[in-house]
Amino acid sequence: MKTEDRFDLPQGTLDLLIMRVVALGPIHGYAIAQRIQQMSREALQVQQGSLYPALHRLEYKKLLTASWQASETGREAKFYELTARGRAHLKAETENWKRLTNVVGLILKGTVEGIS
Amino acid sequence: MSWLGRLLGRERMETELDKELRFHFESQVADKIRGGVPESEAHRLVRMEFGGIEQIKEDCRERRGTMWVESLAQDVRYGLRQLRKSPGFAVVAIVSLALGVGANTAIFSLLDAILLRPLPVQNPRELVLFGPGGGGGSTEAVPDESWRLFSDSFFQDFRREDHSFSGIAGVDSTQFAVKASIAGAAYETTHVDLVSGSYFPVLGVPAYLGRTIAESDDGAFGSGPVAVASYSWFQRHLNGDPAALGKVVRIEAHDYTLVGVARPGFSGVTVGQATDLFIPLSMEKAFSRPGWNGIGDKLFQSLYLIGRLRPGVNAVQASAETNLLFHQIIRGYLGPQPTEKHLADLARASVELTPGARGISPLRQYFSLPLKILMGIVALVLLIACANIANMLLARGVARTREVAVRMALGASRRRIAVQLLTESAVLAGVGAAAGVALAWKASGLLLRLATPGPDPVPLNLAPDSRVLGFTLGVTVLTSLLFGMLPAFRASGVEFTPALKDGRGSSSASSRGALASSLIVGQVALSVLLLAVAGLFVRSLIHLSEVNTGFDDHNVLVFTLDSSTANLPRGADEIRSVRLQEQMEDRVRAIPGVQSDSFAFVAFHDGGWSDQVLFQNITRTPANGEPVNFNITGNGFFSAMGIPLREGRTFGAEDRLNSPRVAVINESMARRFFPNRSAIGQRFSIGETPDHPGDIEVIGVVEDAKYYTLDEGSLMAAYFPCSQSPGFYGNFVVRYAPGANEREIVSAIRHAVAAINPNILVNDVTTLEEQVNRSIATPSLIAQLSAFFGVVAVFLACIGVYGLLSYSVARRTSELGIRLALGAQLHTLLWMVLRECLALLIPGLAIGIAVALTSTHILKSLLYELSPLDPASISIAIGAVAVMTIAAAWVPARRATQINPVQALRTE
Repeated sequence: MKTEDRFDLPQGTLDLLIMRVVALGPIHGYAIAQRIQQMSREALQVQQGSLYPALHRLEYKKLLTASWQASETGREAKFYELTARGRAHLKAETENWKRLTNVVGLILKGTVEGIS
Repeated sequence: MSWLGRLLGRERMETELDKELRFHFESQVADKIRGGVPESEAHRLVRMEFGGIEQIKEDCRERRGTMWVESLAQDVRYGLRQLRKSPGFAVVAIVSLALGVGANTAIFSLLDAILLRPLPVQNPRELVLFGPGGGGGSTEAVPDESWRLFSDSFFQDFRREDHSFSGIAGVDSTQFAVKASIAGAAYETTHVDLVSGSYFPVLGVPAYLGRTIAESDDGAFGSGPVAVASYSWFQRHLNGDPAALGKVVRIEAHDYTLVGVARPGFSGVTVGQATDLFIPLSMEKAFSRPGWNGIGDKLFQSLYLIGRLRPGVNAVQASAETNLLFHQIIRGYLGPQPTEKHLADLARASVELTPGARGISPLRQYFSLPLKILMGIVALVLLIACANIANMLLARGVARTREVAVRMALGASRRRIAVQLLTESAVLAGVGAAAGVALAWKASGLLLRLATPGPDPVPLNLAPDSRVLGFTLGVTVLTSLLFGMLPAFRASGVEFTPALKDGRGSSSASSRGALASSLIVGQVALSVLLLAVAGLFVRSLIHLSEVNTGFDDHNVLVFTLDSSTANLPRGADEIRSVRLQEQMEDRVRAIPGVQSDSFAFVAFHDGGWSDQVLFQNITRTPANGEPVNFNITGNGFFSAMGIPLREGRTFGAEDRLNSPRVAVINESMARRFFPNRSAIGQRFSIGETPDHPGDIEVIGVVEDAKYYTLDEGSLMAAYFPCSQSPGFYGNFVVRYAPGANEREIVSAIRHAVAAINPNILVNDVTTLEEQVNRSIATPSLIAQLSAFFGVVAVFLACIGVYGLLSYSVARRTSELGIRLALGAQLHTLLWMVLRECLALLIPGLAIGIAVALTSTHILKSLLYELSPLDPASISIAIGAVAVMTIAAAWVPARRATQINPVQALRTE
């Protein structure tokens, strides 16, 4: 198994990634998984077992809304879109994330004995 | 979409979910094929990447938030289906739960109505009662303890001076049952409370219609000939017609204008006594009884007082001020030269302020401990029932291990399985509780009637209120958790691979055995405890019913004569009513079959009248300073009651209103005042005055007879002739010849009384034997209920033992078969199973006995001449539980010996 370029996502990050992808325009579940994979340069592979429960949770929380539309292959697929609330949420969470990574980065900047 | 909408749209949701995942699956397959993977291989790969598709669906459903509703509905349906699949288990579980929850709810409704429910008044917590409540009636003594009753003078003087209360309400402690006629209609029995003008304002009870009683109604006698109806009486007798206000209600010789109706739900401050009409205390003289000084007398104490604390005043401050004022005021009433005894008694006297939120209740004092003990008993029975059901569920859990494992393999989470099993328990508990509440609905009223027999049921509001329903709900949830928790967690902890392979769960059987065994040990212990308690109550009841009453209760009729609508002469003409009494006694005695008859103030267990007496030249001792119980009787009383005369004579024609006053006393009184000589010819007076006239001469001494209750000690008693205390039309006792027709005599008596005065009514006909039985109604109800629940407990424990051992025998069939094949003796096998039973029985008995020995002392006050450690009761309990448990074990043990070794080995 290639452990060096695959890693576990911190709790709650998947939601953020999904919303970021959905923010680009209506998109179905399979495409979301692929887009995340592409955008992370293959470092992240989202399992169906995490993706769909997360999508349904976001839909239930009214951050996403869904509709059935014809996909690129002509088949009907469930397309997700951000709601106004979802957009606001994504913005706030992205800010949060940036602040957090900044702070964590500040602390981890110096090299410590024993860590290389 | 609301969650309800989602729930209803479940079908569509499911198809969409399926469609969405299938789209993903197929897109992924298509991508793989495009990447050059052969189609069949692509399918395989994607399926592997996907993992459990059902698992994903389940996770998605769970994320949707409506999951719990959907799965709850599903679980409830599944639970019901499971119950239908094993009707035997369902019936045993539901019946034992219905009994357990029902008994708990029924006893709790009584407990709630009598002990817990606050009065329907404004801010009940601010109310304080003067004295501990109860003990209604009247007294002119100076009690040397906390006073319960207060005179009207005290009430007026106190409230003029005090600063602790924003108001004080007074109500006569006696509720008068009188005949009332509304606007000339027929007379009907009506319960009247005499209340002060401050009563309604202080309690904060507004009028529903018209007005309540005002201070202006409560002035001098006759200032307020008005009445306020309780709402329920207003509905019953006036059909809630507002036009009825202003009508005239006639009670005895007085007319009262109906001026208002009190707020619905309020029927006085005494729990267990519903008031129909409230009348101002200023009309008290109209309700006066012979021998009463009435509210004009400074020391005629007949009122209950209830104060409302002023905001910011706490109970301690109020108590300090109240007691200070109390001593000052009463000291003033004792006159310039009070007796030393009065001063000493007053020094010890006090007014204890008690919380008044729940009103006054003589029932409370009497039933508090029995109800709490019954509550404890039924709670233990419910606990045993829970243990039993837990055991059955454990056994079913083992049988269902495979089912659980299959469902886990199909993607159900452990939590989901546990929740589902708990839901099954809750369904079981819910069905049981519903049946239990239905049972309790009927049972609490029935219990009340059995505990307080008499012509009229005690008016208690037993309609289940939010507290009772909350209690039942709590009990139900608690029970389902109690019996459902262990099996659920055990089942959800199943390691499913071995379980799937094995299918019979032998791996978890041993730990299940330990758990089940300890449940059964607990059941055995509790049933020993409950049986021991039942034994104590039953044996105490037997002692009680063997008490020598001092009278002969066979062939004696007792009834009351109601003369309230007969307008009998009072005052100067009272002699005529004495003649009327004598006429009635003569007429009734002439009825064939009647041997003797007599008026009586009280027969037995009718309440009473008591005071201290002093004989001339006899010094006070603690023994003779106790109150003497008085009775006023006709000439035939002693022969009618069968109380033997020891010395002197009973009353006769020579004892007239104007002849010297005489009394017959009982042996206890004679002995305590005259230990060494005859009491005949000695003279005494009622009351505490040292310079008393000694106006009453003792003419006879009779044997002691019980007065209030069977368990009273030897009380002093004095009897006075009706002819010298006119006006008492209370009870009438008639002794008839053995074998005479009771019904014919009763109807002949009605005719005889009607012939003399058709307005005098013969009421409440009963027998002396019945009176005696009624007096022990509560102990006998407790004995019956505790015996019943004791038997139920033992029975449930036996089911438990039987179930566990049957299971153990079934599980060991092959082992037993091998033993048999190798030549084991039948009795060895029998012993093997019985030994398992003894391993449950002996620790159970030991724990049960230990608990019984350390806890039964709380029953002490309810036991009559019986130690709470009575060895007989405890031995009987041990014996009964041991025999029943071994009997329950015998059936599976016999089955073990009947195993066919060949068959047993073949099944493995």
